[in-house]
Amino acid sequence: MNRYTVRSWVIIGLFGALWGVVELTLGSYLHVIFPPQANTFLTGVVMGGIGALIALTGRHFVPNQGSVFLIAVVTALIKLLSPGGARLGPFVAILMEGLLMEVALLIAGRPRAWGFALGGALAVGWNFFHKFVMMRLVYGGSVVEVYEKMVKEGSQMLGLDVSAALLILGVLLLVRLIVGGIAGWSAWALGGAVARRLGRRVPSGEEVVR
Amino acid sequence: MSPWGYLLFTLWSAVLAVLLHGWQLAGLAAVQMAFGWAWSREALRMLRRPRFWIFVLTAVAVGPFLIGEPDLVLGPLRISREGWAVGVEMAGRAFVLTLAFSVGIGALSLSDVVAVFDRVGLRGLGFAVGVAMNLFGTLREMATVTFQTLWLRGGRRRPWLTLRLFLITTVANTLRYGDEVVSAAAMRAFDPTWGGSGALPLRRADLWLLAALAVCTGIFFS
Repeated sequence: MNRYTVRSWVIIGLFGALWGVVELTLGSYLHVIFPPQANTFLTGVVMGGIGALIALTGRHFVPNQGSVFLIAVVTALIKLLSPGGARLGPFVAILMEGLLMEVALLIAGRPRAWGFALGGALAVGWNFFHKFVMMRLVYGGSVVEVYEKMVKEGSQMLGLDVSAALLILGVLLLVRLIVGGIAGWSAWALGGAVARRLGRRVPSGEEVVR
Repeated sequence: MSPWGYLLFTLWSAVLAVLLHGWQLAGLAAVQMAFGWAWSREALRMLRRPRFWIFVLTAVAVGPFLIGEPDLVLGPLRISREGWAVGVEMAGRAFVLTLAFSVGIGALSLSDVVAVFDRVGLRGLGFAVGVAMNLFGTLREMATVTFQTLWLRGGRRRPWLTLRLFLITTVANTLRYGDEVVSAAAMRAFDPTWGGSGALPLRRADLWLLAALAVCTGIFFS
Protein backbone atom coordinates (compact mmCIF):
# COMPACT_ATOMS: atom_id res chain seq x y z
CA MET A 1 0.00 0.00 0.00
CA ASN A 2 2.90 2.31 0.72
CA ARG A 3 3.94 2.13 -2.95
CA TYR A 4 0.71 3.78 -4.05
CA THR A 5 1.16 7.47 -4.85
CA VAL A 6 -1.43 10.25 -4.65
CA ARG A 7 -1.95 9.83 -8.41
CA SER A 8 -2.58 6.10 -7.95
CA TRP A 9 -5.25 6.73 -5.31
CA VAL A 10 -6.89 9.47 -7.40
CA ILE A 11 -7.10 7.21 -10.45
CA ILE A 12 -8.43 4.33 -8.32
CA GLY A 13 -11.09 6.70 -6.98
CA LEU A 14 -12.00 7.97 -10.45
CA PHE A 15 -12.28 4.57 -12.10
CA GLY A 16 -14.24 3.35 -9.09
CA ALA A 17 -16.57 6.32 -9.58
CA LEU A 18 -16.87 5.57 -13.30
CA TRP A 19 -17.89 1.97 -12.56
CA GLY A 20 -20.24 3.33 -9.90
CA VAL A 21 -21.86 5.67 -12.45
CA VAL A 22 -22.62 2.67 -14.68
CA GLU A 23 -23.93 0.63 -11.72
CA LEU A 24 -26.24 3.40 -10.52
CA THR A 25 -27.56 4.52 -13.91
CA LEU A 26 -27.55 1.66 -16.41
CA GLY A 27 -27.75 -0.93 -13.60
CA SER A 28 -30.87 0.68 -12.17
CA TYR A 29 -32.54 0.79 -15.60
CA LEU A 30 -31.74 -2.84 -16.29
CA HIS A 31 -32.99 -3.95 -12.87
CA VAL A 32 -36.27 -2.18 -13.52
CA ILE A 33 -36.65 -3.66 -17.01
CA PHE A 34 -35.52 -7.14 -15.92
CA PRO A 35 -36.40 -7.73 -12.24
CA PRO A 36 -33.80 -9.94 -10.51
CA GLN A 37 -36.34 -12.68 -9.82
CA ALA A 38 -37.16 -12.91 -13.52
CA ASN A 39 -33.84 -12.51 -15.27
CA THR A 40 -30.34 -12.43 -13.91
CA PHE A 41 -28.59 -13.39 -17.12
CA LEU A 42 -28.73 -10.27 -19.28
CA THR A 43 -28.29 -7.80 -16.43
CA GLY A 44 -25.36 -9.77 -15.04
CA VAL A 45 -23.62 -10.09 -18.38
CA VAL A 46 -24.01 -6.42 -19.31
CA MET A 47 -23.09 -5.01 -15.89
CA GLY A 48 -20.28 -7.49 -15.32
CA GLY A 49 -18.83 -6.86 -18.78
CA ILE A 50 -18.84 -3.08 -18.42
CA GLY A 51 -17.50 -3.29 -14.87
CA ALA A 52 -14.61 -5.50 -15.98
CA LEU A 53 -13.88 -3.17 -18.90
CA ILE A 54 -13.65 -0.12 -16.63
CA ALA A 55 -11.69 -1.72 -13.80
CA LEU A 56 -9.17 -3.36 -16.12
CA THR A 57 -8.72 -0.14 -18.08
CA GLY A 58 -7.94 1.51 -14.75
CA ARG A 59 -5.22 -1.09 -14.19
CA HIS A 60 -3.42 0.32 -17.26
CA PHE A 61 -2.89 3.58 -15.41
CA VAL A 62 -2.27 2.15 -11.92
CA PRO A 63 -0.21 -0.94 -12.66
CA ASN A 64 0.30 -1.81 -8.97
CA GLN A 65 -0.84 -5.16 -7.68
CA GLY A 66 -4.22 -4.88 -5.97
CA SER A 67 -5.37 -1.79 -7.86
CA VAL A 68 -8.27 -3.53 -9.63
CA PHE A 69 -9.55 -4.89 -6.32
CA LEU A 70 -9.28 -1.42 -4.78
CA ILE A 71 -11.28 0.03 -7.71
CA ALA A 72 -13.93 -2.60 -6.95
CA VAL A 73 -13.88 -1.66 -3.24
CA VAL A 74 -14.51 2.00 -4.14
CA THR A 75 -17.37 1.02 -6.48
CA ALA A 76 -18.91 -1.27 -3.85
CA LEU A 77 -18.80 1.55 -1.29
CA ILE A 78 -20.39 3.98 -3.76
CA LYS A 79 -23.17 1.45 -4.31
CA LEU A 80 -23.49 1.01 -0.55
CA LEU A 81 -23.60 4.74 0.21
CA SER A 82 -26.04 5.56 -2.58
CA PRO A 83 -29.69 6.09 -1.61
CA GLY A 84 -31.41 2.71 -1.51
CA GLY A 85 -28.17 0.97 -2.34
CA ALA A 86 -27.50 -0.83 0.94
CA ARG A 87 -28.02 -4.30 -0.46
CA LEU A 88 -25.79 -7.25 0.18
CA GLY A 89 -26.02 -8.83 -3.32
CA PRO A 90 -24.42 -6.15 -5.54
CA PHE A 91 -21.88 -5.34 -2.81
CA VAL A 92 -20.62 -8.92 -2.73
CA ALA A 93 -20.79 -9.26 -6.54
CA ILE A 94 -18.63 -6.20 -7.18
CA LEU A 95 -16.04 -7.23 -4.59
CA MET A 96 -15.86 -10.77 -5.95
CA GLU A 97 -15.48 -9.53 -9.52
CA GLY A 98 -12.60 -7.28 -8.41
CA LEU A 99 -10.98 -10.11 -6.50
CA LEU A 100 -11.21 -12.53 -9.43
CA MET A 101 -9.76 -9.98 -11.86
CA GLU A 102 -6.91 -9.41 -9.43
CA VAL A 103 -6.26 -13.15 -9.16
CA ALA A 104 -6.12 -13.44 -12.97
CA LEU A 105 -3.67 -10.55 -13.21
CA LEU A 106 -1.57 -12.16 -10.48
CA ILE A 107 -1.46 -15.39 -12.47
CA ALA A 108 -0.46 -13.48 -15.61
CA GLY A 109 2.41 -11.79 -13.75
CA ARG A 110 3.37 -8.98 -16.12
CA PRO A 111 0.53 -6.96 -17.72
CA ARG A 112 -0.50 -9.08 -20.69
CA ALA A 113 -3.53 -9.08 -22.97
CA TRP A 114 -4.44 -12.67 -22.05
CA GLY A 115 -4.26 -11.80 -18.37
CA PHE A 116 -6.77 -9.01 -18.91
CA ALA A 117 -9.01 -11.33 -20.96
CA LEU A 118 -8.81 -14.03 -18.27
CA GLY A 119 -9.62 -11.45 -15.60
CA GLY A 120 -12.66 -10.26 -17.51
CA ALA A 121 -13.83 -13.82 -18.13
CA LEU A 122 -13.54 -14.76 -14.44
CA ALA A 123 -15.28 -11.58 -13.33
CA VAL A 124 -18.29 -11.98 -15.63
CA GLY A 125 -18.27 -15.75 -15.05
CA TRP A 126 -18.77 -15.08 -11.33
CA ASN A 127 -22.27 -13.80 -12.14
CA PHE A 128 -23.26 -17.37 -12.93
CA PHE A 129 -22.37 -18.57 -9.43
CA HIS A 130 -23.34 -15.37 -7.63
CA LYS A 131 -27.06 -16.04 -7.49
CA PHE A 132 -26.52 -19.57 -6.15
CA VAL A 133 -23.98 -18.44 -3.56
CA MET A 134 -26.12 -15.52 -2.39
CA MET A 135 -29.26 -17.66 -2.21
CA ARG A 136 -27.36 -20.25 -0.16
CA LEU A 137 -26.05 -17.48 2.08
CA VAL A 138 -29.30 -15.59 2.50
CA TYR A 139 -31.90 -18.38 2.53
CA GLY A 140 -29.76 -21.12 4.11
CA GLY A 141 -29.04 -24.73 3.08
CA SER A 142 -32.66 -25.60 2.23
CA VAL A 143 -32.40 -23.62 -0.99
CA VAL A 144 -30.26 -26.41 -2.47
CA GLU A 145 -33.23 -28.76 -2.18
CA VAL A 146 -35.40 -26.15 -3.89
CA TYR A 147 -32.94 -25.83 -6.78
CA GLU A 148 -32.68 -29.58 -7.29
CA LYS A 149 -36.42 -29.96 -7.42
CA MET A 150 -36.83 -26.94 -9.73
CA VAL A 151 -34.34 -28.39 -12.23
CA LYS A 152 -36.08 -31.81 -12.12
CA GLU A 153 -39.62 -30.45 -12.45
CA GLY A 154 -38.59 -27.83 -15.01
CA SER A 155 -36.97 -30.54 -17.13
CA GLN A 156 -40.10 -32.70 -16.91
CA MET A 157 -42.34 -29.78 -17.80
CA LEU A 158 -40.30 -28.93 -20.90
CA GLY A 159 -39.88 -32.58 -21.84
CA LEU A 160 -36.10 -32.36 -21.50
CA ASP A 161 -33.64 -34.67 -19.86
CA VAL A 162 -31.97 -33.33 -16.68
CA SER A 163 -28.63 -33.46 -18.52
CA ALA A 164 -30.10 -31.08 -21.13
CA ALA A 165 -30.90 -28.62 -18.33
CA LEU A 166 -27.30 -28.88 -17.18
CA LEU A 167 -26.19 -28.31 -20.77
CA ILE A 168 -28.23 -25.10 -20.88
CA LEU A 169 -26.57 -23.97 -17.65
CA GLY A 170 -23.18 -24.80 -19.19
CA VAL A 171 -23.98 -22.71 -22.27
CA LEU A 172 -25.06 -19.79 -20.07
CA LEU A 173 -21.73 -19.99 -18.21
CA LEU A 174 -19.81 -20.18 -21.50
CA VAL A 175 -21.56 -17.08 -22.86
CA ARG A 176 -20.57 -15.19 -19.71
CA LEU A 177 -16.96 -16.30 -20.00
CA ILE A 178 -16.80 -15.23 -23.65
CA VAL A 179 -18.36 -11.81 -22.96
CA GLY A 180 -15.98 -11.32 -20.02
CA GLY A 181 -13.00 -12.32 -22.15
CA ILE A 182 -13.99 -9.80 -24.80
CA ALA A 183 -14.42 -7.11 -22.13
CA GLY A 184 -10.96 -7.84 -20.72
CA TRP A 185 -9.37 -7.82 -24.15
CA SER A 186 -11.16 -4.55 -24.98
CA ALA A 187 -9.85 -3.03 -21.74
CA TRP A 188 -6.32 -3.90 -22.84
CA ALA A 189 -6.90 -2.22 -26.22
CA LEU A 190 -8.75 0.76 -24.73
CA GLY A 191 -6.07 1.47 -22.12
CA GLY A 192 -3.38 1.36 -24.81
CA ALA A 193 -5.37 3.60 -27.16
CA VAL A 194 -6.00 6.23 -24.46
CA ALA A 195 -2.38 6.14 -23.29
CA ARG A 196 -1.18 6.70 -26.87
CA ARG A 197 -3.60 9.56 -27.49
CA LEU A 198 -2.68 11.30 -24.26
CA GLY A 199 1.00 10.69 -24.84
CA ARG A 200 1.21 8.72 -21.59
CA ARG A 201 3.59 5.83 -21.45
CA VAL A 202 2.07 2.73 -19.92
CA PRO A 203 4.69 1.20 -17.58
CA SER A 204 6.13 -2.08 -18.78
CA GLY A 205 5.91 -5.24 -16.72
CA GLU A 206 9.41 -4.86 -15.26
CA GLU A 207 8.58 -1.41 -13.97
CA VAL A 208 5.38 -2.44 -12.27
CA VAL A 209 5.46 -1.93 -8.54
CA ARG A 210 4.65 -5.19 -6.73
CA MET B 1 -23.32 6.41 18.05
CA SER B 2 -19.93 6.16 16.36
CA PRO B 3 -19.33 4.16 13.15
CA TRP B 4 -17.83 1.38 15.34
CA GLY B 5 -21.28 0.81 16.82
CA TYR B 6 -22.86 0.38 13.39
CA LEU B 7 -20.08 -1.96 12.27
CA LEU B 8 -20.40 -3.99 15.47
CA PHE B 9 -24.15 -4.28 15.04
CA THR B 10 -23.80 -5.42 11.40
CA LEU B 11 -21.26 -8.08 12.33
CA TRP B 12 -23.31 -9.31 15.30
CA SER B 13 -26.53 -9.44 13.26
CA ALA B 14 -24.93 -11.23 10.32
CA VAL B 15 -23.35 -13.91 12.55
CA LEU B 16 -26.57 -14.50 14.49
CA ALA B 17 -28.62 -14.59 11.26
CA VAL B 18 -26.60 -17.64 10.25
CA LEU B 19 -26.56 -19.33 13.68
CA LEU B 20 -30.17 -18.85 14.83
CA HIS B 21 -33.19 -20.94 13.84
CA GLY B 22 -36.97 -20.78 14.01
CA TRP B 23 -38.53 -18.26 16.39
CA GLN B 24 -35.11 -16.98 17.43
CA LEU B 25 -34.93 -15.31 14.00
CA ALA B 26 -38.09 -13.38 14.85
CA GLY B 27 -36.40 -12.23 18.06
CA LEU B 28 -33.36 -11.09 16.09
CA ALA B 29 -35.61 -9.21 13.65
CA ALA B 30 -37.25 -7.44 16.62
CA VAL B 31 -33.82 -6.38 17.95
CA GLN B 32 -32.86 -5.09 14.49
CA MET B 33 -36.09 -3.13 14.16
CA ALA B 34 -35.49 -1.56 17.57
CA PHE B 35 -31.93 -0.64 16.57
CA GLY B 36 -33.14 0.76 13.26
CA TRP B 37 -35.85 2.77 14.96
CA ALA B 38 -33.35 4.26 17.43
CA TRP B 39 -30.32 4.93 15.22
CA SER B 40 -31.02 4.20 11.58
CA ARG B 41 -34.60 5.17 10.81
CA GLU B 42 -33.83 6.04 7.18
CA ALA B 43 -32.69 2.47 6.52
CA LEU B 44 -36.06 1.08 7.64
CA ARG B 45 -37.60 2.67 4.54
CA MET B 46 -36.49 -0.46 2.77
CA LEU B 47 -39.44 -2.22 4.42
CA ARG B 48 -41.84 -0.07 2.37
CA ARG B 49 -40.50 -1.37 -0.94
CA PRO B 50 -42.55 -4.10 -2.65
CA ARG B 51 -39.36 -5.43 -4.21
CA PHE B 52 -37.91 -6.25 -0.77
CA TRP B 53 -41.04 -8.19 0.19
CA ILE B 54 -41.10 -10.06 -3.13
CA PHE B 55 -37.51 -11.11 -2.43
CA VAL B 56 -38.28 -12.25 1.12
CA LEU B 57 -41.65 -13.88 0.52
CA THR B 58 -40.52 -15.85 -2.54
CA ALA B 59 -39.20 -18.50 -0.15
CA VAL B 60 -42.54 -18.73 1.67
CA ALA B 61 -44.36 -19.09 -1.63
CA VAL B 62 -42.02 -21.69 -3.10
CA GLY B 63 -41.20 -23.80 0.01
CA PRO B 64 -44.53 -25.70 0.41
CA PHE B 65 -44.38 -26.87 -3.22
CA LEU B 66 -40.73 -27.78 -3.54
CA ILE B 67 -39.61 -28.98 -0.11
CA GLY B 68 -40.81 -32.18 1.57
CA GLU B 69 -43.69 -34.48 0.59
CA PRO B 70 -47.18 -32.97 0.09
CA ASP B 71 -49.34 -33.84 3.11
CA LEU B 72 -52.02 -31.14 3.04
CA VAL B 73 -54.68 -30.36 0.45
CA LEU B 74 -55.83 -26.74 0.08
CA GLY B 75 -58.43 -26.66 -2.71
CA PRO B 76 -56.59 -27.55 -5.91
CA LEU B 77 -53.17 -27.26 -4.23
CA ARG B 78 -51.25 -30.05 -2.54
CA ILE B 79 -48.64 -28.61 -0.24
CA SER B 80 -46.11 -29.79 2.30
CA ARG B 81 -46.30 -28.61 5.89
CA GLU B 82 -42.61 -29.27 6.32
CA GLY B 83 -41.94 -27.17 3.20
CA TRP B 84 -44.09 -24.37 4.59
CA ALA B 85 -42.13 -24.31 7.86
CA VAL B 86 -38.77 -24.40 6.04
CA GLY B 87 -39.95 -21.67 3.64
CA VAL B 88 -40.94 -19.39 6.51
CA GLU B 89 -37.55 -19.93 8.16
CA MET B 90 -35.74 -19.20 4.87
CA ALA B 91 -37.75 -15.99 4.51
CA GLY B 92 -36.92 -15.05 8.10
CA ARG B 93 -33.21 -15.58 7.52
CA ALA B 94 -33.32 -13.49 4.32
CA PHE B 95 -35.17 -10.75 6.21
CA VAL B 96 -32.69 -10.48 9.11
CA LEU B 97 -29.61 -10.75 6.90
CA THR B 98 -30.83 -8.00 4.59
CA LEU B 99 -31.83 -5.82 7.53
CA ALA B 100 -28.47 -6.41 9.25
CA PHE B 101 -26.70 -4.91 6.30
CA SER B 102 -29.17 -2.09 5.76
CA VAL B 103 -29.52 -0.71 9.30
CA GLY B 104 -25.84 -1.30 10.10
CA ILE B 105 -23.23 -0.50 7.44
CA GLY B 106 -25.86 1.01 5.15
CA ALA B 107 -26.49 3.80 7.67
CA LEU B 108 -22.89 5.05 7.60
CA SER B 109 -22.15 8.36 5.89
CA LEU B 110 -19.25 9.09 3.55
CA SER B 111 -17.34 10.90 6.30
CA ASP B 112 -17.85 7.89 8.62
CA VAL B 113 -16.40 5.53 6.02
CA VAL B 114 -13.43 7.82 5.34
CA ALA B 115 -12.82 8.19 9.09
CA VAL B 116 -12.88 4.41 9.60
CA PHE B 117 -10.38 3.86 6.77
CA ASP B 118 -8.20 6.61 8.22
CA ARG B 119 -8.30 5.02 11.65
CA VAL B 120 -7.38 1.54 10.43
CA GLY B 121 -4.40 2.88 8.47
CA LEU B 122 -5.96 2.91 4.99
CA ARG B 123 -5.78 6.65 4.52
CA GLY B 124 -5.26 6.34 0.76
CA LEU B 125 -8.37 4.22 0.29
CA GLY B 126 -10.42 6.70 2.31
CA PHE B 127 -9.05 9.47 0.08
CA ALA B 128 -9.96 7.47 -3.05
CA VAL B 129 -13.52 6.95 -1.80
CA GLY B 130 -13.78 10.68 -1.08
CA VAL B 131 -12.53 11.53 -4.59
CA ALA B 132 -14.98 9.05 -6.10
CA MET B 133 -17.99 10.36 -4.20
CA ASN B 134 -17.17 14.01 -4.86
CA LEU B 135 -16.51 13.57 -8.59
CA PHE B 136 -19.32 11.08 -9.11
CA GLY B 137 -21.78 13.67 -10.41
CA THR B 138 -19.16 15.36 -12.61
CA LEU B 139 -18.20 12.07 -14.25
CA ARG B 140 -21.83 11.16 -14.85
CA GLU B 141 -22.44 14.54 -16.46
CA MET B 142 -19.29 14.25 -18.55
CA ALA B 143 -20.23 10.75 -19.82
CA THR B 144 -23.77 11.92 -20.67
CA VAL B 145 -22.55 14.98 -22.57
CA THR B 146 -19.96 12.90 -24.47
CA PHE B 147 -22.60 10.35 -25.47
CA GLN B 148 -25.11 12.98 -26.58
CA THR B 149 -22.50 14.87 -28.59
CA LEU B 150 -21.37 11.76 -30.44
CA TRP B 151 -24.98 10.69 -30.99
CA LEU B 152 -25.94 14.04 -32.47
CA ARG B 153 -22.92 13.99 -34.76
CA GLY B 154 -24.02 10.88 -36.61
CA GLY B 155 -23.40 8.24 -33.96
CA ARG B 156 -26.49 6.30 -34.95
CA ARG B 157 -25.07 5.61 -38.43
CA ARG B 158 -21.71 4.28 -37.16
CA PRO B 159 -22.44 2.65 -33.80
CA TRP B 160 -19.14 0.77 -33.35
CA LEU B 161 -16.98 3.78 -34.15
CA THR B 162 -19.18 5.87 -31.86
CA LEU B 163 -18.80 3.36 -29.02
CA ARG B 164 -15.02 3.36 -29.46
CA LEU B 165 -14.85 7.16 -29.48
CA PHE B 166 -17.17 7.32 -26.48
CA LEU B 167 -14.99 4.98 -24.44
CA ILE B 168 -11.74 6.72 -25.37
CA THR B 169 -13.15 10.20 -24.69
CA THR B 170 -14.68 9.14 -21.38
CA VAL B 171 -11.49 7.50 -20.10
CA ALA B 172 -9.31 10.37 -21.35
CA ASN B 173 -11.53 12.95 -19.65
CA THR B 174 -11.54 10.90 -16.45
CA LEU B 175 -7.75 10.97 -16.45
CA ARG B 176 -7.80 14.73 -17.09
CA TYR B 177 -9.96 15.22 -13.99
CA GLY B 178 -7.47 13.02 -12.18
CA ASP B 179 -4.61 15.37 -13.10
CA GLU B 180 -6.55 18.29 -11.63
CA VAL B 181 -7.20 16.43 -8.37
CA VAL B 182 -3.53 15.39 -8.13
CA SER B 183 -2.47 19.02 -8.61
CA ALA B 184 -4.90 20.18 -5.93
CA ALA B 185 -3.67 17.48 -3.53
CA ALA B 186 -0.04 18.39 -4.24
CA MET B 187 -0.73 22.06 -3.49
CA ARG B 188 -2.14 21.03 -0.12
CA ALA B 189 0.86 18.74 0.48
CA PHE B 190 -1.43 15.77 0.94
CA ASP B 191 0.36 12.46 1.41
CA PRO B 192 -1.68 9.27 1.74
CA THR B 193 1.16 7.47 3.50
CA TRP B 194 1.79 10.13 6.08
CA GLY B 195 -0.24 11.97 8.65
CA GLY B 196 -1.76 11.01 11.95
CA SER B 197 -4.83 8.89 11.85
CA GLY B 198 -7.89 10.85 12.88
CA ALA B 199 -9.37 10.06 16.25
CA LEU B 200 -12.55 8.04 16.13
CA PRO B 201 -13.29 7.32 19.77
CA LEU B 202 -15.93 4.98 21.11
CA ARG B 203 -18.93 6.79 22.51
CA ARG B 204 -21.06 5.96 25.51
CA ALA B 205 -23.82 4.68 23.19
CA ASP B 206 -21.38 2.16 21.67
CA LEU B 207 -20.68 0.70 25.10
CA TRP B 208 -24.39 0.49 25.89
CA LEU B 209 -24.93 -1.22 22.56
CA LEU B 210 -22.15 -3.70 23.30
CA ALA B 211 -23.74 -4.53 26.66
CA ALA B 212 -27.20 -4.87 25.09
CA LEU B 213 -25.90 -7.17 22.35
CA ALA B 214 -24.13 -9.33 24.94
CA VAL B 215 -27.41 -9.68 26.88
CA CYS B 216 -29.34 -10.50 23.69
CA THR B 217 -26.75 -13.12 22.71
CA GLY B 218 -27.12 -14.69 26.14
CA ILE B 219 -30.92 -14.79 25.80
CA PHE B 220 -30.78 -16.32 22.30
CA PHE B 221 -28.43 -19.11 23.35
CA SER B 222 -29.85 -19.80 26.81
